[in-house]
Amino acid sequence: MMAELREQDQAVADREAEDAQPERKRWVQMLTDSTAFIFIALLGMVVAFTVLRPEAFASVNNLRNIAIAASILLVLSIGQTFVITTAGIDISVGSVLVFSGVVAALVMAEVNGGQGWAAVLVGTVAALLAGAFWGLVNGLLITKAQLPPLIVTLGTFGGVLGFAKVLTGGINLRTVPNVLIETLGIGRLFGVIPWLVILALVITTIAGITMRFTRFGRYTIAIGSSEEAARRVGINVDRHLLKVYLVSGVLAGIGGMMSLARFTNTTIQGHDTDNLQSIASVVIGGTSLFGGIATMFGTLVGVFIPTTLQNGFVILRIQPFWQEVAVGAVLIVAVYVDQLKRRARDRL
Amino acid sequence: MRSTNRVRRSRVMVASVAVVALLASACGNGDDTTDEPDDDVEEPADDEGSDDDEGAAGDEEYDITLIPGVTGDEFYVSMECGALAASEELGVNLDVQGAPVFSPTEQIPVLESVIASEPDAILIAPTDVDALQGPLETAVEAGIEIVLVDTTLSDPSIAVTQIGSDNHEGGRMAADALGELMGGEGAAMVVNVTPGISTTDARGEGFIEGMEENWPDIEFLGQEYSDNEPAKAAEIVSATLAAEPDLSGIFGANLFSAEGAATGIRQEGRDDVFIVGFDAGPAQIEQLREGLVQALIVQQPLEIGRQGIEQAVAALRGEPTEEQIGTGFVTATLDNLDDPEIAEYLYKAEC
Repeated sequence: MMAELREQDQAVADREAEDAQPERKRWVQMLTDSTAFIFIALLGMVVAFTVLRPEAFASVNNLRNIAIAASILLVLSIGQTFVITTAGIDISVGSVLVFSGVVAALVMAEVNGGQGWAAVLVGTVAALLAGAFWGLVNGLLITKAQLPPLIVTLGTFGGVLGFAKVLTGGINLRTVPNVLIETLGIGRLFGVIPWLVILALVITTIAGITMRFTRFGRYTIAIGSSEEAARRVGINVDRHLLKVYLVSGVLAGIGGMMSLARFTNTTIQGHDTDNLQSIASVVIGGTSLFGGIATMFGTLVGVFIPTTLQNGFVILRIQPFWQEVAVGAVLIVAVYVDQLKRRARDRL
Repeated sequence: MRSTNRVRRSRVMVASVAVVALLASACGNGDDTTDEPDDDVEEPADDEGSDDDEGAAGDEEYDITLIPGVTGDEFYVSMECGALAASEELGVNLDVQGAPVFSPTEQIPVLESVIASEPDAILIAPTDVDALQGPLETAVEAGIEIVLVDTTLSDPSIAVTQIGSDNHEGGRMAADALGELMGGEGAAMVVNVTPGISTTDARGEGFIEGMEENWPDIEFLGQEYSDNEPAKAAEIVSATLAAEPDLSGIFGANLFSAEGAATGIRQEGRDDVFIVGFDAGPAQIEQLREGLVQALIVQQPLEIGRQGIEQAVAALRGEPTEEQIGTGFVTATLDNLDDPEIAEYLYKAEC
């Protein structure tokens, strides 16, 4: 049963296609696999922007800026990928990020006058715990109270941000240790690769391995494929879902520290659309909104598409509103491709 | 088999349509812009000897980008109009780039992309006094002149100049306008936006100060926050009216606060409560004409934009600049709304 399940659902599209029609040419599969398709679209954008403004777009500085701009959203989107793979959704990520940042800032202000590595360490622990706490609350309400994830996380989306404002009186806190800003915020490995980007990529890699090669990943995919089937083969679905929302919360906590380091304050007003951006990135990347199909690499690409578009449009001096139009169009096309893929598979 | 073939073909079609659409949207607006940046590759704004392809005037043509605090806001659109007018006079290529949300998380990526496009100068309304400091220093290091418009930084010394209205003074003017409407008696309150925004905080403080100094007989009931939601402002006002029937004057510190306050008053069936609003976009002017609001404190965003370009060009030409420029306010009422000297300050939804 379990084996069947895996065979049917875990495999990414190209592998399915290969099994079904071995004679099919590889490049056709590539183009029709939604992750590959979106990767090609990203490359197409990069080439187009490079051709149009090579000296501005393709500079090391600019590419680094794109990567930095994508890094925090990438970490949130990794958590979102796990959640969406279970056919769930987490609307609360941006609010949990803000809350974690606020708690960290409050705690850090009390340690060593708000400066130094000790403060950073304590603040990081506080941010992770705060994120884990809200992840657990989401998970418990979804599994024990059996409420739909959309409603639970919509509630915590508003409520958690409210708590963050209660803690600060609505005012952004600025007690961020200089060492954190100088290292994680603006520092670079060997003076080249920003630490924010490294952190995001390390998390993405670990998540990719987890999803593909571990029991945690297999359970996540199995539950998304069919919760009932997963239950029958003996997976403790509730406990696993709890863990998935916990992971999303903890990653939002990490995002909170990254945001503090990058923006030097708690940016309470700045994360209202993080949830929608992360969901869009995950779906653009090829993870199915209906569960059961996951791709961390796709999420990585999915995060870079809106970021690259925005950057390129600014450099080409295109009216800013077109960026929103373009990102919306990419999302719809990506979901359409996903739908076609599913329909094709269902016919086999 | 046949059906999957069809599906496959349509998938390829979708893919190509998508790519074409992307390219089309990327090029759609490009025709008037993509050709000009090429010029400044050859001649990166050096001050002498690059006049060969400039036309009649022989003036340097500068690329300047304006980054407002948020896109689609009439205050900033008016600033853009002022900047555009000055740009045409001075032969500047003006580009406007911004984010749809007033937040450093959205503004910094835009700013960084603008820096990569290598303009000669940037006019920016920083959305945070600290968060924008570092990115703007990078711009200065890249040889870009910075002019701060509307809002400012913790350390504005990196900029050529800072231009904006003194919101504290605007709040004091609101207190005087409201005090006069109320005849110097009764009770007043402030409906503000949300704490932590430097401009609206200053308006509230200025208002409270003005009330205490000039209108000692008016009881001040305190400041409430609408979170920029008209519905919340309406609730606050109707609840306050129920508790304090003496309330006869409200300062709505921005558009939605004033609009919600007016709704709250209507709900309670009162017509003896005065509202003073801030800013003069089309919606506020409508409020004034309908009698929902009795006075508006009007900033001068066109002036901020115009002077911003002038200062930037002066800096690029190596001419003297001013360290700080304060633009004033006018008070608009139903009586003076159509006077030319007031009408020229009203904000615009498009240039």
